[in-house]
Amino acid sequence: MSLFAVSVRRIRILFYAGMTLAGLGALLAVGLFFVAVRDLPQVPEPLGRIIETPPTEIFAATGERLMIIGGREVVPLNRISPFFIQAVIATEDHRFWEHHGLDKLRTLKALWITLFEPGRIQGASTITQQLAKNLFFSYRRTYMRKFRELLVALQIETRYSKREILEAYLNQIPFGVGDYGIERAARSFFGKPALELNLAESSLLAGLPKSPTRYNPYRYFERAKKRQRLVLARMNAVGYTTVEESEAAYQAPLQLMSHAAETPKGSYFLDLVINDLEERYGPEVVYHGGLKVSTTLDPEQQTWAVESLQSGLAKLDQLMGIVDEDQTGDTRSLSHPQGALVALECNSGAVKALVGGRDYSETEFNRAIGNNRLPGSGFKPFLYYAAFEKLSLTPANVFVDRQITIPVVGASDWTPQNFEREHEGPMILKRALMQSVNVIAAQLVERVGPEALIDVARRAGIKSPLKPVYSLALGTSGVSPLEMAAAFSTFATGGIRHEPFWIRRVEDPLGRVLEEQIVRGQRSLDASIAYQVTDMMRGVLTDGTGKVIRRLGFDLPAAGKTGTSDDFRDAWFTGFTPTLSASVWVGYDRGMSMRDVNKIGITGGRGAGPIWAEFMIKATSGEPPREFTVPSDIHFETVDPVSGEIAGQWRPSRMKVAMRSGQIAGAAAGKSGTLKSEQSILEKTVQPAVEKAGTSATKKADRSTITEEDLPPE
Amino acid sequence: MSQWAEPRDFKEWARRAFGLRPIVTLMLVSSVLILEFRFDWMERILGAYLVTTNSERPESGSIWEKSRQTRTARKALEQILTDKQTLQREARSAASFTQIAANVTPGEGVMLSADHFRKLYLRLAPSIAHEIISPFELLGIVSDGLWRRTYFEKSGSGLMIYLLDANNRVLRQLELGVIMLSQLKRGEVALTESLDQLPIFENRIYPADRFFHSLESFPEDVRRSMVPQPETLLEVPGQIVRIGISDETQSGFIELGFEFLNGAQRRVVLVQGHEWAVWRLRSNLEGTDMDNASRQISDQTEDRTPP
Repeated sequence: MSLFAVSVRRIRILFYAGMTLAGLGALLAVGLFFVAVRDLPQVPEPLGRIIETPPTEIFAATGERLMIIGGREVVPLNRISPFFIQAVIATEDHRFWEHHGLDKLRTLKALWITLFEPGRIQGASTITQQLAKNLFFSYRRTYMRKFRELLVALQIETRYSKREILEAYLNQIPFGVGDYGIERAARSFFGKPALELNLAESSLLAGLPKSPTRYNPYRYFERAKKRQRLVLARMNAVGYTTVEESEAAYQAPLQLMSHAAETPKGSYFLDLVINDLEERYGPEVVYHGGLKVSTTLDPEQQTWAVESLQSGLAKLDQLMGIVDEDQTGDTRSLSHPQGALVALECNSGAVKALVGGRDYSETEFNRAIGNNRLPGSGFKPFLYYAAFEKLSLTPANVFVDRQITIPVVGASDWTPQNFEREHEGPMILKRALMQSVNVIAAQLVERVGPEALIDVARRAGIKSPLKPVYSLALGTSGVSPLEMAAAFSTFATGGIRHEPFWIRRVEDPLGRVLEEQIVRGQRSLDASIAYQVTDMMRGVLTDGTGKVIRRLGFDLPAAGKTGTSDDFRDAWFTGFTPTLSASVWVGYDRGMSMRDVNKIGITGGRGAGPIWAEFMIKATSGEPPREFTVPSDIHFETVDPVSGEIAGQWRPSRMKVAMRSGQIAGAAAGKSGTLKSEQSILEKTVQPAVEKAGTSATKKADRSTITEEDLPPE
Repeated sequence: MSQWAEPRDFKEWARRAFGLRPIVTLMLVSSVLILEFRFDWMERILGAYLVTTNSERPESGSIWEKSRQTRTARKALEQILTDKQTLQREARSAASFTQIAANVTPGEGVMLSADHFRKLYLRLAPSIAHEIISPFELLGIVSDGLWRRTYFEKSGSGLMIYLLDANNRVLRQLELGVIMLSQLKRGEVALTESLDQLPIFENRIYPADRFFHSLESFPEDVRRSMVPQPETLLEVPGQIVRIGISDETQSGFIELGFEFLNGAQRRVVLVQGHEWAVWRLRSNLEGTDMDNASRQISDQTEDRTPP
């Protein structure tokens, strides 16, 4: 057989084999088509239905929108910058206007690269295919999914115009940080509507959808710029821009919104609001119901709260000699002290500012509501109130600051220590609170009982579990800054308790009211006793452990109390004016001791006080000085802070105390009898108890609530 | 039909390859391909087919899931709103505080206007209204100009009423306890601690024995007109110690206050008696001085006197 004949035969075999294969391929394609079509998703009509989920919007007390959850901010194509449209088309699908859902040339090229250039994968999805994928399919890569995606794209192309497809696409592409759709992205990244984006901004944004995290300009600016250059090059290649225009756009400075815009303002606060809404209405209603939520947040105060806390913590880092090395968020949140600040309106309970940590983007754990931090001496105001109410003591009653031991059932005796580990001898109760004398607080709780203290704390607004132990007086049960701010505001209002709240009103998408907050107060503390304690707490700021507040320049009438837990693990300052109550906590998440470079412990006055002062100076700026309301049965007397006797002008040290009607300083047991009286009380109660600790079973039985957990903080 | 034979040489092969039939076939195939690249007819055919089958296909995929969640959310919201609006509608049509109390459910209060509260308040007998809030105090609140709305909420078995300003701050909080509500329900009774606290009975308070001795001197039907529902008094725990009679008439009725002593606790229950009967009773209690006045009143109300 001739060579020619052999060649012809081979060609013929090849031809028939090709034909057979083509036939089989065609059959396979038809079969595949019908298999794929079988459970192909229905395409909604109209296509605009993809964005019909109304967004849930959360507003501040000022009406400013704080956050949008779900939904899309839809804009028609003519409200989108042409630069952005061109940038997207040039980058994603430059033959968009020509093809019918499938770019065959690009597909063949991608197929060639995928098959014959190992290690390289070329994408060929058109804008319509991407839209189909985003609307209906998971991100799992399979050939069947790609094929079905193509089929849906073909249907979309047949049913809708190119403009409709492009509009739907641009209104749903992800740009990261929860922004879907170009309008939201333009406002979030550049603080302007999509129509006003220039070439530089458009090219930067057009590069993001490929990988919003990888090209996030806040975190990886250089990477985002590289991507922008690529987008500009594509625009130039397609003919949308000249080389000069592309270069100018690349060199143009980008005015990105402040970093805060990346994580919405008041995120700890918003977490609180969203969790609350989820509990009330369920996640589906919150994320898909289109609620309009009015909150109590004051954006200005929130900003000041964040600034004050961050600058205070930065100063604390310096004080403690903590070097800020290149650390990731998680590591930093553990190696640096954290903090929280809550401020609320005294006469309503409306939370005006809430910060739950140093940086929300680093750690989302909300320390403002976590009730696991020990308040230390910050709990003493409740104890003094209980003592005044139950024992009819006055701020002028004298107690002796000296070494005492209180027996505890089932544990070793409790020997409370003062912070300085020194004793000053006799002093009036007002001074004892101002100087935060632990030993006198221990004597008071021993007499009043932990149950009475718990009762007062509950009436003031503390909700956390409280252990009925003596050391509770020194703050050994965990509470939250939110609770402390709310409970102290009960003193500010003269005993009227307002439940703290953060949601003022909730409406459905049509504006129908679902709920609204009723601002109600309940008398829970006696006005006169509450005033006496408030007056004592005013002394904390003027001449007590919170002097730093006045030194830093906060001069409005205010009261407050410092708190430091055992081994300087927690530092607190909670204080209030007649209108605003704020609580600040600082400490390590892991409960480590806070000490400065000289190994001196960080107290509430040093760690939290300056943050409180900075915030309150800003939050009350422009407010006229407003005094606390003095109840009609309160009169003031000037006494000697040591003996409690009425002090004349000639006395070197004098202290003004608030007394209720019928209470006379220095006259309870004769002119100088208070001290003697208190000493005798001590001798009759504490000392014998100490002496008989081993034998007095009855006494111990009375204190059955005391356990070995009853450990004193310093 | 001629048998196909293999071409013997290149010439024959070329003649066959470039014959009419293969060229036409080639042109056809080429034009199909070119037309496909140019006009996307395959995509269009498939797309058109898929459009026709669209409605039969399942609503699956993320967008449909979202749509379902939206529908569920809307349904849940509609349910909440419907319940709320029903409650609100019932409250608006309520003719008394007791009707509102019957409709309000725990955890779901109702909001009414300040005017609506005033209307309900004015429907109460003055002594009862006074028990809830003094009209002078209410006048003071109205004159402040802050009161906008009133919120009613269940409190245990009672009813809490909050008078609110425009910012929903409570201006005044009123509580209708379960006893007060049940008394309101039975009608015409109110509670207070002592008859001496009610100015309407000033100088007209009688010891119980004297009152009942006088009451016994009347026939049963007259006594029924004097104290229309004695059973309500039987339900009140304690012993009746004093009775006060008002001298103010309202729509043909006069109020009587029965002061109960239960242990150390005093309580007054108010009832309304027919004016003509109460005047007769009072004249009987006071003696002949009242007879003329009583007769005059009796003459005026003769048509209401039972046979």
